[in-house]
Amino acid sequence: MHLESASNIKNTHRGTLLVEDAEILSHESLPGQQHVLRLKSPGIARRAQAGQFAHISCGPELAMRRPLSIMRVDKNAGWIEFLYKVFGAGTKLLTQRSVGELISLIGPIGNPFSAHTEKPRTLLIGGGVGIPPMVFLVDSLKQQKINNYKPFVIMGSEVPFPFSPRPSQFIIPGMPDAAIGAMPLMEDWGIPSRLASRQGYPGCFEGYVTDLARCWLNALSRQQQNEVEIFACGPHPMLAAVAKMAVEYSLPCQVSLEEFMACAVGGCAGCVVEVKTSNGPAMKRVCVDGPVFDANTVFPEESR
Amino acid sequence: MASIGITAKIPFDRLQENQPMKTDIKDMPILASQFCGMQFDTPLVLLSGCVGFGEEYTRVQGFSNRDVGAVCLKGTTLQPRLGNPLHRLAETPMGMLNSIGLQNPGAEHVVNNILPALDFSETRFIANVSGSTIEEYVTVTRLFDDSPIDAIELNISCPNVKEGGMVFGNDPLMSARVVAACRAVTKKPIITKLSPNQTDIAENARLCLESGSDAFAVINTLMGMAIDTENRTPIIGANQGGLSGAAIKPIALLKVHQVYQVCRHHNIPIIGQGGIMNAEDAIEFMIAGAAAIGVGTALFYDPLVCTKINAGISDYLKQHNIVEISQLIGTLTIN
Ligand SMILES: Cc1cc2nc3c(=O)[nH]c(=O)nc-3n(C[C@H](O)[C@H](O)[C@H](O)COP(=O)(O)O)c2cc1C
Ligand code: FES
Repeated sequence: MHLESASNIKNTHRGTLLVEDAEILSHESLPGQQHVLRLKSPGIARRAQAGQFAHISCGPELAMRRPLSIMRVDKNAGWIEFLYKVFGAGTKLLTQRSVGELISLIGPIGNPFSAHTEKPRTLLIGGGVGIPPMVFLVDSLKQQKINNYKPFVIMGSEVPFPFSPRPSQFIIPGMPDAAIGAMPLMEDWGIPSRLASRQGYPGCFEGYVTDLARCWLNALSRQQQNEVEIFACGPHPMLAAVAKMAVEYSLPCQVSLEEFMACAVGGCAGCVVEVKTSNGPAMKRVCVDGPVFDANTVFPEESR
Repeated sequence: MASIGITAKIPFDRLQENQPMKTDIKDMPILASQFCGMQFDTPLVLLSGCVGFGEEYTRVQGFSNRDVGAVCLKGTTLQPRLGNPLHRLAETPMGMLNSIGLQNPGAEHVVNNILPALDFSETRFIANVSGSTIEEYVTVTRLFDDSPIDAIELNISCPNVKEGGMVFGNDPLMSARVVAACRAVTKKPIITKLSPNQTDIAENARLCLESGSDAFAVINTLMGMAIDTENRTPIIGANQGGLSGAAIKPIALLKVHQVYQVCRHHNIPIIGQGGIMNAEDAIEFMIAGAAAIGVGTALFYDPLVCTKINAGISDYLKQHNIVEISQLIGTLTIN
C-alpha cells in the first residue's frame, strides 16, 4: 500500500546502486606507479555510464573504501576496468590484490557526463588520474553512431603515460609540429588524440593541456567553434584552467571532480564542493550531486 | 526482501496454527521492542549524520529502512548552515575523523519539504536538534514537535561547531538546562545525546534525566586530529574533528556501562553507539545496558551491514534461549 504512495524520488533513486563482490580478472602494473584493474562485475558493468565511479574496498585493514572512476566496461562480457595511481594507504593496499581474489564494489555512483547532439565536436581533456573517465566517454560517444560525434581527445600527464604513445594517423589542424604522439587505444578506435606534458616525453606537446586545446580551437572556424562542448577531468588547477578557457571561447564545459569520501551514497556530506546557484552558494556532494558539474558553477571566479 | 520486522511476527502466525509455542520462539527470537513508547522493528538505529535525511542509503539495492528500528536524521539547526571547509574527512587507524559542521537546510525546510517525503510506515524517524543557544534548541524542538517526527534527539555533543554543541554537552548543568527547556515545549520522546569528551558522563546523565530526558544516546564522537606531514597542517579543514568507527568502541562501551548504572533504576533506555561494526559488537553493547544499537560509520564500509547484524543478534538469542532482546539488556555481571 504505502509503496504506491511513495514519492517520485523513490522510484528513480531507490535501488540504483549495487553492492557486488567482484573477482579480479587481471591486474597490470604500469610505469609511474599506475595500475589497470579489471573486475568481473556484471551488474555494475550493465548500468555504468561515463563519468560514474565505484566505491572500492581495498582491503579489510582499512576502515574506508576508495572512490575510483570507471575507465571501461564491457556490458556483454560483464567486466569493468579501472586505472589508478598509487596515492595513499588504500591504493597501495589495492596493488597487493591479485587475480582471482574478490573485491567489494558499490556502484555505479554519481551523475554521468551528458553530451549534447547539437554540439558534436566534443573536446575531451584528461589529466593524470583524470584520464579514465575520458576513455569511458569516448567509448560511449563512438557507440552512438547516429549522433555523429567527432571527439578530439587531449591527455596530459607529468608521470609516464599509462600507455606507449604512438605517432598519430590523423592530421589535426592547428597542432604544433612536435605534437604527433597519440593514445594507441584511441588510434585503434579511429579517434584523434594528442598528448601534453612538461616532462619532455617524445611526441608530446611540451606545455599545458589548455595550451594545446587553444591551438585546436583557434584553427576552427567560428561556426565549428559553436559546435564544441568540453569535458574535463583531472587535478583542480587543470580544471580551473579549462573552465577559464571555456569562458573565453563561450563554450559549454562539464568537469568531473574528486574529493575524500566516506559513504559515497550521499549520507555524510563529507565530500562537498561549493557550487554557485541562483539562491547563492550551496555545498553539493561530489558523490551523488556530482561528480560531474557544470564548470561555471564550481569555478565561478574563472567565469568572470 | 524479508525484513526482520516481518519475520518477527511469524511466531504469532504460527501460534494461530496451534503449533507448540516454545520451540517456535526459539526458532525465531523477537527483535522488535518498545523504545520510549515507539515500536522499533529491530534494535538497530541509523545514526545522525551518516544517513543524510533518511532516503540516501535506499539508493543501495538490498538496503531497507525496514531493517532498522529507527533512523536519526542529520543534525538540524534553526537557520540553514553551509558547514565546515574542506577537507571534512580523514581516515585513521580503524576509524575516521569528520568535521561536517552541521551542514543542513534549516529546521523549517526539513519539516516542510523533507519529512513529507519520508515513509513513516517503514521505520521511526528521529530528529537531531542542534543549536548555539538554549533558545535555538527550544525553537527547533518546537518546530519538530509540530511535525510527524517520532522523537527528538538533542545533540548537545557535536564537536564540530564553535558555539553550542559540545559546549553545552560538556557542562552537566548546561546540559540539564537545554533538556529542561526543550522538555517544556514537547511531549514527544526526548533522547539526549551525550558527549564522551567530559569528565563525568554519569553525572551529566543523572541531571538530564531529572530534567526530563526520556532516553540517552551514548556516545557522540571523540575529538581528534590528523596531520599531513608534507604540508605540516591538519588534514581536516577545521583542524580537528570527531573520531568514530571501530577505534572508539571500547570507550563507547564503558560510557554505556556508566550511564546504564544511572538509568537502570528509572527504566530509561540507551541507544548504544560508537564503533559498532557487527553483531558481536551489538551484543556487547546490549549486555552493557544498551536497549538499542546505533550503526553509523560501519555503513560506510558495508551499506548492507544492518541485515547481517540483525541476523547475528537473532542467532545469538537463539543459541542462548533468549526470547526477547529485553532479556539480554544490562545482564553484565561485574567481576
Ligand atoms: C560523518 C559523520 C557526521 C555526523 N554528524 C552528526 C550529527 O549531525 N549529529 C549528531 O548528533 N551526531 C553526528 N555524528 C555522530 C554519529 O551520529 C555517531 O554518534 C558517532 O559517529 C559514533 O557512532 P559510529 O562509530 O557507529 O559512527 C556524525 C558522525 C559522522 C561519522
Ligand atoms: S561521501 Fe558521503 S555524502 Fe559524499
